[in-house]
Amino acid sequence: MAEFECRLKTYRQLKGLTQEQLAALVGVRRETVMRLEKAQYNPSLKLAIDISRAVGAPIEEIFIFQ
Amino acid sequence: MKKNSTKLLAACGIFCVLALLASAWYATAFNGGRLVGPMDLGSYSFTPKDLPMLLSIVLTCLYVLALFLLLLRRAGEARREAADTARRVNPKLGLLGLLGFLGFAGFWSYPARGDVTPFVFFLFFGFFGFFYEGRMSGTFMDERFRENAVRAQLTAYKITFRITLIALVVLCQGRLFGSLEHTLIAAIIVLSLTLALGIFLPEYLLYCYDHGSQAEEGGE
Repeated sequence: MAEFECRLKTYRQLKGLTQEQLAALVGVRRETVMRLEKAQYNPSLKLAIDISRAVGAPIEEIFIFQ
Repeated sequence: MKKNSTKLLAACGIFCVLALLASAWYATAFNGGRLVGPMDLGSYSFTPKDLPMLLSIVLTCLYVLALFLLLLRRAGEARREAADTARRVNPKLGLLGLLGFLGFAGFWSYPARGDVTPFVFFLFFGFFGFFYEGRMSGTFMDERFRENAVRAQLTAYKITFRITLIALVVLCQGRLFGSLEHTLIAAIIVLSLTLALGIFLPEYLLYCYDHGSQAEEGGE
């Protein structure tokens, strides 16, 4: 199974957003953002796109499958 | 619903009731109680004195219809609003699970009256799931929540069906305690308990999946 790595925390902090603000922007709960940052949750394509737009970084740089 | 429209609605209702009372009084006093007391509507012929009563009846019917339509619309709106959040449940409803202990009454009722229905009360043990549903009550249902809910439901069904199958295989092997009656009673008990598990487990598992490692999570 592919190893999942998530660099969301870095990009979120670069953008100056809190987990709560990002969660509100992409329409999920803060807990989901937490799980995403810990790479414990594999997001849907829609959520990945929404996050990528919110933090202003390409999807493949935020979510990495090795 | 806005306060003003509620007031308007209440005022219309009061007006309709007053109109109905006034026209009923008029019909009783000046129209021989037509359309108020029992009458044969098959031979009804219109007289101008019936007009107040007819108008107030039509007005009241329209009001009731409008009220009904408004309630329907409001219910639709409430359902749409609730679609994004988990349903609101008081965790105290979990106490209903205690009713499951009534199932033990079957061990008294069967020998005394040959009645096996109390065993079905074991189903109520499933209501302990309200403790967990209550804790998740009103939670915004994002994609992870929905995913977890489906996973919890599937896992619960798998476990329930496995237990049911194993129990049925064991029970169908032969007579339990040398009696077919006892085997059937055991089947009722097992089915009730597995169904209770099927009600309880999805809520419990959803709670576990959602709060799994929250202790190690830190907010920002």
